[in-house]
Amino acid sequence: MRLVDLPRTSSFRLALRFLILFGVASFVLFGFLYWQTNHYIIGRIDAWLAHEQTILRPLDRDTLVQRLTAHVVADPTFERPATLFDPVGMRLAGTPLSLTGATLAGMPQDVPMEFGLQQDHGPMRFRAVVHRRPSGDYLVVALDMDAQHAFADVLVNAFIWGGLITALIGLAGAAFIGAGAVRRIDGVTRAIQRIVNGDLSERLPTHGQTDDLDRLAIVINGMLGEIERLMQEVKGVCDNIAHDLRTPLTRLLAGMERMRRRAVSTEDYAAAVDDAILETKDVLNTFAAILRISEVESGARRAGFTETDISEVVADAVEFYEPVAEAKGVQLVHLTPEDAPVTMRGDPSLLFEAVGNLVDNALKFTPRGGQVTVCGFARAGTIGFEVTDTGPGIPADEAACVLRRFYRAESSRNTPGSGLGLALVAAVARLHGMDLAISDARPGCRITIARHEPVFGSPDVPISGAEFGHDDAAGRALAEQWVVVEGAGKTSA
Amino acid sequence: MTRVLVVEDDRQTANEIKAALGDHGFEVEQAATGREGLLKAAADPYDAIVLDRMLPGGIDGLGVLSTLRAAGVVAPVLILSALSAVDERVRGLRAGGDDYLTKPFDFLELTARLDVLLRRQVVPQRETMLRAGKLEMDLLTHAVRYAGKAIELLPREFRLLEFLMRHADQVVTRTMLFEEVWNYRTVEPTNLIDMHISKLRRKLDCESTEPMIRTVRGAGYMLHAAG
Repeated sequence: MRLVDLPRTSSFRLALRFLILFGVASFVLFGFLYWQTNHYIIGRIDAWLAHEQTILRPLDRDTLVQRLTAHVVADPTFERPATLFDPVGMRLAGTPLSLTGATLAGMPQDVPMEFGLQQDHGPMRFRAVVHRRPSGDYLVVALDMDAQHAFADVLVNAFIWGGLITALIGLAGAAFIGAGAVRRIDGVTRAIQRIVNGDLSERLPTHGQTDDLDRLAIVINGMLGEIERLMQEVKGVCDNIAHDLRTPLTRLLAGMERMRRRAVSTEDYAAAVDDAILETKDVLNTFAAILRISEVESGARRAGFTETDISEVVADAVEFYEPVAEAKGVQLVHLTPEDAPVTMRGDPSLLFEAVGNLVDNALKFTPRGGQVTVCGFARAGTIGFEVTDTGPGIPADEAACVLRRFYRAESSRNTPGSGLGLALVAAVARLHGMDLAISDARPGCRITIARHEPVFGSPDVPISGAEFGHDDAAGRALAEQWVVVEGAGKTSA
Repeated sequence: MTRVLVVEDDRQTANEIKAALGDHGFEVEQAATGREGLLKAAADPYDAIVLDRMLPGGIDGLGVLSTLRAAGVVAPVLILSALSAVDERVRGLRAGGDDYLTKPFDFLELTARLDVLLRRQVVPQRETMLRAGKLEMDLLTHAVRYAGKAIELLPREFRLLEFLMRHADQVVTRTMLFEEVWNYRTVEPTNLIDMHISKLRRKLDCESTEPMIRTVRGAGYMLHAAG
């Protein structure tokens, strides 16, 4: 960063703005101080002048002349002049002030005022009170103001120099702060440029402080971490798609090439074509599953939400998968809760598919003679489904991975499946505002998808749906319901 | 001969549909735009219409459909769509469509569904007894008999057989079975439908001498009435 860039940096400008603000405040403060001090000193002077007048005024002319003559001796530098003039302006006694009768007559009487006089040894400023005695004489009591003005000058000078030094320190400070901030921003900018250039592992620099910039950097770093994770996931998905599709496509190609080489009869061709059709359908099914997960994740299927009886969904799924369980020799149990049917807002087909996938998965990994238990439950503000098996279970470190698309646990590489089942279940759960949890059932594995619902006080509000803020459609429906209730109230009234 | 109008803008898809339907014994007319489809359907009575949901130009599939229905055209309409969302399907059926098929689809699925749509017009659904050969089904008492002998069926097996009997001598696809018998609309696990069918088969074949439910390779199943 160059010095000429400094005035353009926001922190420098901020510092400068504070400096100006501080300057204006100091100026106002000084002005007030100056005015107060001045006012105080003038007040003291005026009080002294009035006091002198009250002492001298009652004296008769001779005593006054006597006192003033003595005063001249006591005050040789005219610091506190006191003079008696006759009505035409002739000095009778006291300090020789160069005042004329006309001037004296034109001066306001008995009030303090300031004037300048050209004395023998140079110009002087006085503050004085002129009193016209009944005899027509003028008694002038004054005070030399030069000392007072010198004091004011010192005050102003001190302010100017103090202000200049403060301004200099302030400017230097602003430049320092600005440069420091610019260094940090430059560091951040360089980091961002590296990220833009493709290095997603780069993070914004932090300084171990908890100031605003560091907090911002920490939040952005968190976001970058999430983006990096998603990018890796997308890359992983792409790799997996490529792998999962390449295998059947390779088989397809190989089959067709073999047919080209060897097939002799129409039946050979027909059989090969049938194989090719099956392989192609597999590929299309994989594609359809990927697209479905995307569709579910995009939330497009919320439009199909209705009140869904969860035990009916479980019963249907259990009934649907019963033949598989029978063939495998696994007991498939539907645990029915005793209480009334529980409904939740959702897409019945998707919920069926999710529960079906969980059951399918559980059956796949449960050995012969084992048991798979399915139940739809609603208890203590939680509503959802639970599938428990007596299989080998999912190791804790693999629990998060199994939800990823195409993830196949090492131990399940040889089990048929696309690796998309649990990813779809997770997507369906998210769409319904549910959490998916994998826990250890000792022995076996328990997968729960459930939604935690706040308890409503009012019976008017159905405790059923995703009306807790994350579902606009349901929110609207609820709002409409309220409108209807209000409307009904008006009609009856 | 059954005449079908195919309104589809993609030439290649249209040709494939025409070929598949032609092989199935239908006479096929093509239209590439909504306007052309509308004119053809209004000018000439067709037995069924296959209508693409997304069409270029001013009027799309749903527009064509509602205009046709408003004009009094009653031919069954099967909507083809790349949009698979449930509300899309509901919207299509609400506009007057009789069935909805999501792309990419199987041509056997298309022909099977068209067969069902065409048959639906002829056979009333109000009877209480279904018969297919020696097989009898009483829809009121849920009793099933083969040549007078009672067959015990579970509720789902009953509904499976009912659907097959209603569409006897027609190809019924696994998707159709899943949608109609289980009443869920998702991607059906094919092998599971097969397992349910084979359970049903075992119960029927105890009584009958030859298999009633036959597998149609690559398409689905067919219940033979003349058994």
